[in-house]
Amino acid sequence: MAGAPIEALQRVPLFADLDVDEVGQIARLFKERRFHAGDTVIQEGSGGAAFFVIDSGEATVSVGGSERATLKTGDYFGEIALIDEGTRTATITAASDLVCFGVTFWDFRPLVEHNGVIGWKLLQSLAKIYRDARQR
Amino acid sequence: MKEVVSLVEAADTSLFGSKAVGLGQAERDGISVPPGVALSGDIVEAVAAGEEEEIERVVAAVRPLGGPLAVRSSAVDEDGADASFAGQHLTLLNVPSWEHITAALSEIWWSANSDSAITYRQRVGLFTRPSVGVVVQALLDPDSAGVMFTQNPVTGADERVIEASWGLGEAVVAGLVIPDNYRIASSGEVLERTPGLKKIAVRTLPQGGTVEEQIAPELRERLCLDDSQLAELNQLADRCDQVYGPARDIEWAIAGGALYLLQCRAITRAG
Repeated sequence: MAGAPIEALQRVPLFADLDVDEVGQIARLFKERRFHAGDTVIQEGSGGAAFFVIDSGEATVSVGGSERATLKTGDYFGEIALIDEGTRTATITAASDLVCFGVTFWDFRPLVEHNGVIGWKLLQSLAKIYRDARQR
Repeated sequence: MKEVVSLVEAADTSLFGSKAVGLGQAERDGISVPPGVALSGDIVEAVAAGEEEEIERVVAAVRPLGGPLAVRSSAVDEDGADASFAGQHLTLLNVPSWEHITAALSEIWWSANSDSAITYRQRVGLFTRPSVGVVVQALLDPDSAGVMFTQNPVTGADERVIEASWGLGEAVVAGLVIPDNYRIASSGEVLERTPGLKKIAVRTLPQGGTVEEQIAPELRERLCLDDSQLAELNQLADRCDQVYGPARDIEWAIAGGALYLLQCRAITRAG
């Protein structure tokens, strides 16, 4: 089956304001990616190409060499790099064999550029995330 | 365009990448290469995306190759430059069979779309979407293999320099053995035969992967190429000069009594 499960993406705050059809359009852009235990999924400081949602397995999050968190099924990472093309702020390492669904900005950006409704809703989600971050 | 063709038909670098077209050109010019197929960048992406119809097309093309397989990325040229970008030259040796081809193609697609590949592209000012074709070939189980320079890479002299060992060429390329060393004048005269110390051979495993096999003591310092094989290698060098141009770095293998070209690229001169 092509794409990521829609329900996995509906949990991501960035997509919170999208309806199921709109999430479905984005879900179809995702591709499965597998990692072996110990593989580096993303490296702190590198350019970011893709956003990932974990389908199965676990991953550890490290910043500056210090372990900060464990990610599990349903967790996601790298979504901001889809938009700002910035560098990765953490290293994520597969703690077990890991199955993710990922989308690159080459696939994501054209969809958003051609669909103003999705673009506007994403902007609103980002504004909420930003507002929450400022208030903390 | 989502294309899968036999290697001899691969002629468009914008679809299949330079590695596939290079091997296709060799085959069109009568040079033996392991049997294989070329996949366009678009069909590789379709397989990575899980598109069932395209997966079936690829499986149907790959199944006749049997197993195991060598699956090599073939980066699509951009702006006429040699596409030697980080993460785009992933090669998967000893993929057990067609049943594993989807996973192999997914891994290759992601290597071309990885963070490191993107970082490199951003650094060199390339903001276009990468496209990676793939070459799938039957993986040989060679008696001997190695590398050949069609021009001396150190002195530039007009002679062939050959390094050879038992089994897969990985033993030579990865520096796992001291290989035999041969020099042949372009006329065919053998100028040097220096046996190496070949304690191991790299062999394929039926279930995938490779193993280092101990070589019998009496074979470790025995030359693994005879004069007729050296003559064939010299002829291969002549043909590669004609097809690809001078100063080539060739990977070759001898399996079942036949000599095959595995890869051919320009020499990077030492020093």
